[in-house]
Amino acid sequence: MLEVIKPGLETSIQDYPGRIGYLNLGFPWSSAMDSWSLRLANILVGNDAGAAGLECQFIGPSLKVQRDTVIAVTGADMQAKIDGAEIPMWESIAIGAGQVLEMAFAKTGARGYIAVAGGISSPEFLGSRSTFHKAGVGGMGGHAIQKDQVVPVAQGDGRPGRKVKESARPPIVTDKQWTVDVVRGPNDDWVDDAGHERFLSTQWKLSAKSDRSGFRLEGPDWTFNEKAYDKLPEHGSDPANILDQGYPVGAINLAGQTPIILVNDGPSMGGFINPYTVPQCAFWKLGQAKPGELLSFEAISVDDAQQKARDITALCSEDSIE
Amino acid sequence: MIYAEPKCSPGGDRFMLIEFGDELTLALNFFSQGLARAMIEQKIKGVVETSPCFSSLSVHYEPDEVHYDDLRKEILALANSLGEADDVEVESRLLYFPAVYLDPWTTAAMKEYREKINPEKEPDPEFIAQLNNLDDVEQFVRVHSGSEYWCAALGFWPGTPFLMPLDPRCQLTAPKYNPPRTFTPRGTIGMGGGSTAIYPVDGPGGYQIFARTPIPIWDAKQRLPQFESQLWLLQPTDRIKFIPCSVEEFNEIERKVEEGSFVMNIIDYQKVSLQRHQAWVEQLDLNARF
Repeated sequence: MLEVIKPGLETSIQDYPGRIGYLNLGFPWSSAMDSWSLRLANILVGNDAGAAGLECQFIGPSLKVQRDTVIAVTGADMQAKIDGAEIPMWESIAIGAGQVLEMAFAKTGARGYIAVAGGISSPEFLGSRSTFHKAGVGGMGGHAIQKDQVVPVAQGDGRPGRKVKESARPPIVTDKQWTVDVVRGPNDDWVDDAGHERFLSTQWKLSAKSDRSGFRLEGPDWTFNEKAYDKLPEHGSDPANILDQGYPVGAINLAGQTPIILVNDGPSMGGFINPYTVPQCAFWKLGQAKPGELLSFEAISVDDAQQKARDITALCSEDSIE
Repeated sequence: MIYAEPKCSPGGDRFMLIEFGDELTLALNFFSQGLARAMIEQKIKGVVETSPCFSSLSVHYEPDEVHYDDLRKEILALANSLGEADDVEVESRLLYFPAVYLDPWTTAAMKEYREKINPEKEPDPEFIAQLNNLDDVEQFVRVHSGSEYWCAALGFWPGTPFLMPLDPRCQLTAPKYNPPRTFTPRGTIGMGGGSTAIYPVDGPGGYQIFARTPIPIWDAKQRLPQFESQLWLLQPTDRIKFIPCSVEEFNEIERKVEEGSFVMNIIDYQKVSLQRHQAWVEQLDLNARF
């Protein structure tokens, strides 16, 4: 019951945690890149934190609402308006039948999120409504929403005037520089000490050739340990080649000399090494980073990464609403 | 080699990679698949999903249910209890895949790569033949199509098989493209390292390419009965035999696939025994090639 007037650049239906359990068939999780923002948007409108909403990339959509309901807009600041009047973000808002929610370009951050009371009710595929564009599954017809489509929404009972406390919102940077957590491994022993030092001390530029399957990083070349050269031919001859293996979601995948962060729609398996992995607690930052912005990486322990994810999940709750 | 003890490494906050060795053997893949199955059957606490490949296993776990160190201990104990997998046999479908080797489509994709990305790139079939000390591309075609291929894993993209030849005399190796290709036609057969893959849809790619099959392995349009209940064709433990065919046969099969009348050739009564495979491999002259 959201009529698409303008689709935006790439507006897709995503839920949380996504299509879990099918990596062994090659299906990625998909889901919202900044799930912190999606979860809070859902809580604002009275949905389960993981309900399906809209992820709006760089430029948001214009949507005509077909029945009275309650919405919330979170994530990147896309200058949301209803019938031309600016509306606050991080707050549940009543919208009437026939009114138009209009989003523009992202002033800060990269991805805005829209939740609607009741949640989007497009068909599930393998247990999730998340869109996986590359294989054309999930969402509506497997792709980003298109002009004149009507996005179905289930019945909900949201209340307007609920706000997310300032302290519970993801701190989206305005200076185009991000510090992103990484955990060393799984293939860290293929890179030499100088290579590790260089990776952690470089400000990497997020390439324009990035999408929901991979974030390419521009920066210096990598150097390797003996292990990367002295190996069986089955691995492939390039130092970054390894006998094909399952990839962790968030792997920093070294394709030759180009590091690519395998994000939500990334490949599940392949033959390049992964010296580092971005843990789930830092995915929201990737979701809010624009091409051209700078990323530096800070190594943390597995335990710390897990605790940080728990801290974010704790914030995605009723306690964060005022 | 096969490691004395499996090597476990963290992948972020909720993955563990377990490596059993670093070679392409049926025994290692049986072991990865077997351990993945055992972890699910024994409901190891905190394990959400597993993704076995040739000689390793990636595990997605829930950190609120199990600590990394405890999971590691539990998996190593389970791996120990499985022991040698050499008395295992599994059911295995055999699928015949007609394929045009040295075909016009992959040749065009290589040409485009040379024009747009790397003018120095040698044609892939010649490059692989030379690298593997074969006489010419004709011998390369004989060798590559001379073995049944074992589907060791699905991954990368939904339903994409990671294949290894069951006949070690057909084991070839090749480096991956650097940088990758921006376009590869659907149905392309390619190699990277020691593994062979089929591209389910048009897309970028990093394998050396040399053949194309008209048999769909992913079909969102669900035109054939094999795709009625799922969009992908293959499963681990399948075997594929590539049958060299002509461009005319390719076109005819593609037409029948399009209209939904193509009959797939799938044999489904056989088992693969690891022990019998190993015994057969041991008595082969690995230097003799077709």
